Amino acid sequence: MDSTVGTGYADLRAQLLGRTGVPGPARRRALARLTDSWLGELATSAGVNVGGVALVAVGGYGRGELSPYSDLDLVLLHSSETPPSYAQMLAERLWYPIWDSKVKLDHSVRSVGGARQIAQVDLPVMLGMLDLRHIAGDPELATLLRRRVLADWRADAKERLPQLETSCQERAERSGDMAFSTEPNLKESRGGLRDLVVMRAVAASWLADCPHQGLEEARSDLLDVRDALHLSAHRRTDRLNIQDQDGVAKALEYPSRDALLTKVAGIGRTVALAADLTWYRVRRAIDAPVRNTQLHDVGGRFIRRPPRLPLADGIVEQDGEAILARSVNPTKDPSLPIRAAAAAAQAGLTVAPATVNRLAKVCPPLPHPWPAGALNAFVSLLGAGEPMITVWESLDQAGLISAMLPGWERLRSMPQWDPIHVFTVDRHLMETAVQASRLVRRVRRPDLLLLTAIFHDIGKGTGRDHSVAGAELVRDWLPRLGLAPKDIDTVSLLVRQHLLLTDIAARRDPDDPSTVAMVTAVIPDLDTLQLLHALTEADSRAAGPKTWSAWKASQVARLVARTTNALGLNLPARTGELTAAERALLEQARAGAVRIRVDPAQVGLTVTLAAPDRPGLLAAAAGTLTLHRLTIRAATARTLAGTALQVWTVQPQFGEAPIADTLRADLIRALDGSIDVAAALAKRDLSAAPRVPVPQPVIETIASASTTATVLQIRAHDMPGLLHRITSTVAAARALVTSALVDTLGSEVVDVFYLTDREGEPLSERAAEGLLADLRRALAIA
Amino acid sequence: MKLITAVIKPFKLDEVRAALLAFGVQGMTVQEASGYGRQRGHTEVYRGAEYTVELLPKVRLEILVDSDDADDVIDVIVRAARTGKIGDGKVWAVPVESVVRVRTGEHGPEAL
Repeated sequence: MDSTVGTGYADLRAQLLGRTGVPGPARRRALARLTDSWLGELATSAGVNVGGVALVAVGGYGRGELSPYSDLDLVLLHSSETPPSYAQMLAERLWYPIWDSKVKLDHSVRSVGGARQIAQVDLPVMLGMLDLRHIAGDPELATLLRRRVLADWRADAKERLPQLETSCQERAERSGDMAFSTEPNLKESRGGLRDLVVMRAVAASWLADCPHQGLEEARSDLLDVRDALHLSAHRRTDRLNIQDQDGVAKALEYPSRDALLTKVAGIGRTVALAADLTWYRVRRAIDAPVRNTQLHDVGGRFIRRPPRLPLADGIVEQDGEAILARSVNPTKDPSLPIRAAAAAAQAGLTVAPATVNRLAKVCPPLPHPWPAGALNAFVSLLGAGEPMITVWESLDQAGLISAMLPGWERLRSMPQWDPIHVFTVDRHLMETAVQASRLVRRVRRPDLLLLTAIFHDIGKGTGRDHSVAGAELVRDWLPRLGLAPKDIDTVSLLVRQHLLLTDIAARRDPDDPSTVAMVTAVIPDLDTLQLLHALTEADSRAAGPKTWSAWKASQVARLVARTTNALGLNLPARTGELTAAERALLEQARAGAVRIRVDPAQVGLTVTLAAPDRPGLLAAAAGTLTLHRLTIRAATARTLAGTALQVWTVQPQFGEAPIADTLRADLIRALDGSIDVAAALAKRDLSAAPRVPVPQPVIETIASASTTATVLQIRAHDMPGLLHRITSTVAAARALVTSALVDTLGSEVVDVFYLTDREGEPLSERAAEGLLADLRRALAIA
Repeated sequence: MKLITAVIKPFKLDEVRAALLAFGVQGMTVQEASGYGRQRGHTEVYRGAEYTVELLPKVRLEILVDSDDADDVIDVIVRAARTGKIGDGKVWAVPVESVVRVRTGEHGPEAL
């Protein structure tokens, strides 16, 4: 054997890699070409240039993704007619010069059938072979194996893709998330090179496609970083350790290691989101292979498509994704993206990628302040829990979040050099909102909790105390959202003080009265304290898996308990003054008639109702409105000298506003029993349970809130028919509602009812306990 | 050599650490702990209802010192941790037979 063949490779390779300039696709191609031709020469001189044997590259080298210190993954392939001993001899002739040249080699000798067999049981081998590339020898053999392996992969996709997903999840557990790590693994982390390979494999299976946007660029950029990392570390490594970050940043001409990490995190997010969407599609393709398709008329041709199910105004569900209804015009509807996001997240779905891109392209920007309804949708999105993150990410990557919240761009992928935090600033804010969504029952204003959660750290990266800077920034950001000035004050205060409870609990004597005074000096009332307590827990839980220990929780809880006693109880507000129109309606109803008016409101409609009070009136009204497909957003009810006055804020779900006379007629029928409202609601499936996991409702009476009535407070996740269920349970317990305050904040309902018995006295303790038990049964979430 | 263990109120940790540092103690182990002593927890009032707090949050410190320094170190801890109210905690010392520094293999007082 000619031992001089190929000796020039090491020199040429060193020359190529030593060339100054930024790494890039051109250099990687040159390195792969150089290696190919070297191996070609070696193969010829080893005798791998006859029929029946071939040298093929698999894995990264197969894709031409050679970084400076990458292994060469090579397989010497032989036909079934070639004796294995002969192939083994050729292999040894071939491998020795490679080993001698100090290039790392991952090698095997296989027949076509043997290679197929291994690929059928070993997923990594299968993924490597999907990228098989012929280097030398019999090209037919390489083509044959490639075709067979691909056919096997497609045939077994339904069994093997779930295995692949499991292995990806395990890898993500082990290697963390590239987007949020300060020392990411460019290959193994979630959102890294391995996920890109996996998505190609999924696409090759033909079972589901992966999103394509930005992935080729992501791959190239990541490989650039890995090339620079190899040269900086002088060895094969995929982990971007802190000590190499400055060198890599310099080689790639980034201004700082922070800029490098922000870039890597951004790539990680793009890839991770694409991977999430890919697996989502795979699961759907496997779980629901036979769908109820419907015929659709598309320009005169009838084609089969999955059915569309309404989700919210202008948004429908199709094939597990939220898309736009045909009736909406996105070019004239600036709040459509946020409404679509909220509807998708609350249903546990994603917004279809094509829909996100279309919205980003054609939707006008939200005006200043946001139109009514947009803030509510935003709060509803934040309150959806885990599903919010994928929806938010897809909007964020299309630029829609930055368009809604100027200033968000600064926080994107911002690393935190802090041992407590495992997430970048923006992701920490999202995680805090997810944590907060589980604590909404603890506060009277779930909307303010969720808004504070998503904004509490926006002062980071300003170079000042982030609480102080954040408290000022929310005063810039929140008026745009249309939040009431009083509520902006509360959010700003909470942002300013978001570390107060943990600081004081850890550093001050809880038995010292001055400790409680330090809290009461800045926290004005119990509602704000409860918000701060929930925010403290959400923030701490979102920082990392171990930050919120039972020990820390007990310290904070003690401080809160003592401060609570110092602040005393907040009583629910009662209803305000009557307007002239309400007084007129009340007058007309005194004669014993049922009166209804419908007026346009800032959001939706106001329905005002006056009627002689009777048990079940509130339940009948709530049921009738829901049957007319009106979503109840808020209501007040009170009884004045035997006549009930109810003011409802409702939103028509689809189509036209109702006519007052029709509503009135149906209400009268509901009252006299000729419509069974509960049965009608059940039939129309208007009593559906939430589609995302939500905390159980909190149902309690507030002792000492009133001397003339029993005060019932209910906090629950909104769902169609909820108020009817509550009020009919109250009516069944023979309790009278003397006044009620119903509010929907995002997707959270906060209701207060003042109840008496038939004699006008507060409910007996036993009756109250019985009612609470009935309500818990009626509202329990399975 | 002695092992000094102190169970103190959490908010006193910073002061105790500063006092020990000033005294020349180099290292310590700190754990979050909960428990109660003679006071058996206590009763608190929250939203008008009484409830008993059984396990109070505490911090547990462990310090290895030369036998000659033990009394002084205990004294430093006690002075820094005292508020004068119930639940201030306890400090105790036990003899230690051998100590090895893992990195260097040093034995005995050298390893402190």
